[in-house]
Amino acid sequence: MNIHVVATVVSVAIFAFVIELVRRRRLTFKYAVAWLLVSGGAIFFAVFYKFLFACAAFLGFELPSNFIFFTLFCVFVTLSLLLTVFLCQQNNRNDVMAQKIALLEFELKELKKKLKVE
Amino acid sequence: MSPAEKRVLVIVPAFNECGNIGRTVEEIRNVARTGRELSPGEKGDSPLHLHVDILVIDDGSRDATAQEARQAGGMVVSLPFNLGIGAAVQTGFQYAQRHGYDIAVQIDGDGQHDASFLEKLVEPICRGEADMVVGSRFLEKTGGFRSSFSRRMGIVFFVHLINGLTGVKINDPTSGFRAYNKKMIALFAEYYPHDFPEPEAIVVGQQDGARIVELPVVMRPREAGSSSIRYFKTLYYMVKVTLAILLHMIRQRRNKT
Repeated sequence: MNIHVVATVVSVAIFAFVIELVRRRRLTFKYAVAWLLVSGGAIFFAVFYKFLFACAAFLGFELPSNFIFFTLFCVFVTLSLLLTVFLCQQNNRNDVMAQKIALLEFELKELKKKLKVE
Repeated sequence: MSPAEKRVLVIVPAFNECGNIGRTVEEIRNVARTGRELSPGEKGDSPLHLHVDILVIDDGSRDATAQEARQAGGMVVSLPFNLGIGAAVQTGFQYAQRHGYDIAVQIDGDGQHDASFLEKLVEPICRGEADMVVGSRFLEKTGGFRSSFSRRMGIVFFVHLINGLTGVKINDPTSGFRAYNKKMIALFAEYYPHDFPEPEAIVVGQQDGARIVELPVVMRPREAGSSSIRYFKTLYYMVKVTLAILLHMIRQRRNKT
């Protein structure tokens, strides 16, 4: 019986923490959405655990806990894949900016040199 | 400036090449100074004039690479941190594109390439016979530096991989001594492979319809510093480049944004 309370409290805490992070501007909404959806789903299942059991039985899981583990596993794999995509994008942008900065710095130096001569 | 004059940018990527880079730049300058005029071709073309600029890309070196290159008379673009040879060379293409160069030549900063082959490499491009020229140390038995057995095995593997996938036979696909025309400069300024870019760049170019020509050059052993590809890295290099080439084959055509 207590496990439901614990599960609910933990998922609500995570949900609140994400919202707090957004409020403090440590997380932008774009990245917070995924976490809000996951923790929202966790709250839903923690409160309506009968529905969780029904889902597990319907999908053929012998133990509801296995259903939870499987679902969480899928969610985290997807999230980490998405994060890798973001990381890759940031990395590319970083490279492009480094190249641009280096070229601009060089051109600026050349320009200054030219101005000094004249 | 005569109408036949071609502006050539020599791109020299260098990462911690103190002790090599100065000599490399001076060598290129000497070649550029002595031989600005190409002999007329067999078809009776008019002689071509080359105006050669040298751009050293200091890829976040921690030693005096940039100063040494500048003292030797090269233009030096310093990347704020180490981006890897692919991105460094790409920076050179971007500079060439911004400043409207006709031809870009890539030479490694470690002094292994003999700059006296520069004109020979540029010639097919000047004559409009090729989009991309690869300097190969395996085409002729010219002697010079060849490289270790394991490295050669890897190179043979890439020769067959690239040949099988694209039908182009390049005997020295890892060579970093190359010349490109305007079309290739534009292509590679926008997209150039990272990490170990040389074999992949051939595939990228071929997919874009480039005419790739290979000419014999002589390579020397390094005099200072160490190669970026060490023995234990060879296997990783092979796997990475193979996967990258295969991935490139199934990649969507990039939309110009």
